[in-house]
Amino acid sequence: MNNEQQLLAALAAGERTATERIYQQHYHIINGWLINNGGSSADAADLFQEAIVVLYGKAQEEDFRLTCSIGTYLFAVSKHLWYKKLQQQNRGPAILQSNIGGDEDEIEIAYEDDINVHTEREAHYEQLDSALDQIGEPCRSLLKAYYHHDKSMQEIAADFGYTNPDNAKTQKYKCLARLRKLFYTMQAK
Amino acid sequence: MSVNHNNIWEVAEAYLSGSLPQDQIIEIKDCLAADTVFANEFYEITNLIRSVEGSGKQKRFRGMLRDIHAQQQTAAAPKKAKLIIFTPQFWKTASVAAGVAILTSTITIWSINASIKRHESQYNTISREVGAIKKVQAQQQAEQANLKEMVNKASKHTPPPSDVKYSGTGFALTNDGYFVTADHVIHHDGKGDFDSVYIQTHDGQYYKANLIFADNTKDIAILKVEKKSFRFGKGELPYTFTAAKAGLGSRIFTLGYPKDEEVYDEGYISSRNGFNGNNMQYTLELPVGHGQSGSPMLDEKGNVLGILAAVGSQDEANTYAIGTKALMELLNDQLPDQKTIRLPKANKLSRLSRAEQIEKMENYTFSVKVYKK
Repeated sequence: MNNEQQLLAALAAGERTATERIYQQHYHIINGWLINNGGSSADAADLFQEAIVVLYGKAQEEDFRLTCSIGTYLFAVSKHLWYKKLQQQNRGPAILQSNIGGDEDEIEIAYEDDINVHTEREAHYEQLDSALDQIGEPCRSLLKAYYHHDKSMQEIAADFGYTNPDNAKTQKYKCLARLRKLFYTMQAK
Repeated sequence: MSVNHNNIWEVAEAYLSGSLPQDQIIEIKDCLAADTVFANEFYEITNLIRSVEGSGKQKRFRGMLRDIHAQQQTAAAPKKAKLIIFTPQFWKTASVAAGVAILTSTITIWSINASIKRHESQYNTISREVGAIKKVQAQQQAEQANLKEMVNKASKHTPPPSDVKYSGTGFALTNDGYFVTADHVIHHDGKGDFDSVYIQTHDGQYYKANLIFADNTKDIAILKVEKKSFRFGKGELPYTFTAAKAGLGSRIFTLGYPKDEEVYDEGYISSRNGFNGNNMQYTLELPVGHGQSGSPMLDEKGNVLGILAAVGSQDEANTYAIGTKALMELLNDQLPDQKTIRLPKANKLSRLSRAEQIEKMENYTFSVKVYKK
């Protein structure tokens, strides 16, 4: 158990080896299950990656704790996401057929909550991305370089032709101010 | 109040990262309690920074997941280690081999020193300037005859307006027509004014293609076949893409069009960085000819590791490839609005023999022909 907690902490930090291990241990289970449930390997890849992102998002929370094993969690979330997808396409069971009654019900609800939080976050990020796409250059590239690609202010100053990192930083704050304006006007609509 | 409008972003950033000194934190908390306008602004700003940071982290995490997936899909079953013991009768050969190795390494050192002086002239891109090669003219005529014949057969494909100027290789990114080639194949002289680009597929058919996006520093161009119903093959692409840098010595192979026929070559990664230490590239030991620019460079399991770009000068004889990481960055960030390209996720090549792998790939690699007056 202790081991799983360490693994989760490393996952939350985005460490590759931990993520690789989780992938290796659990991917084939979801892949196998999905193929028996009308999905393809490509679906499995999408689904499993989404489930890990849900777990990753949850692991960022301060009061994070997992009441079950990583494997159980990923499997349950994958199932939920899959049924949800089928439901949207109108070709699947409307309700989850498994796990009726008792404690398990509560756990199911917990998964649902996590997925809802995840979906909201995704929508929020999507809005942010579209604001970022409308902001214009050089702000778009500068903010992406800093926030998406984790480049240092030094690298950015060199890449964008600022005389020093401080100038680049000032520009970054200006860009953030523009992003804020755009983003909140978009949200207001 | 020390928190004026100009540095509020800086203060908010420091506040979130926990690097703000204690006395300033107290000051801010006082302001937040006393001034609701300031409080609203401060919360909005910290929320925004948190979101942008979170979104960026998640993007990197997703990229890593895709990479891990591609890697694990093709990870080989662990091989049994073979122990080779050098019995005395091999000693002679071994020492000769060692001697040769020493000799080669001195030569390498010499040529590296020499290359420092000469720089850029040693970096020759490997697209093919068709006009320059006389021999090709005959082929060209045949090509045009072929074209006319084709046009007669299917009037949909209009003939290109002028002669083939350059040719290179391209390979599919999606089955519905997106493909990639090296930017210098289409923008050969850096001026970027080609009349049109056609691809000629493995079965001899021509299709017109439109430029979607090109980046000449990365030397990557993304194009799409114009015809809406176009598909490269019956199924999804057989290969996958991996952005993680492959190790030194990894065996690699490529499929391209140095002439009007498909050509296979194999080799290995000889340096993890490219020309002049460019870390977006690989240096390869791979024999290539002009016209192979834009060819896929794959590992043994059918993962695309990069795109062939250039060869060193003759005495250097290195080949350079642009790493898949650069392609991914371009696809993630630089595409024009509304365009998303979803790379294939399922690798169908990992268990096949090389000949079978090549056969599967034939529909997805093709010649790229650039027309210009």
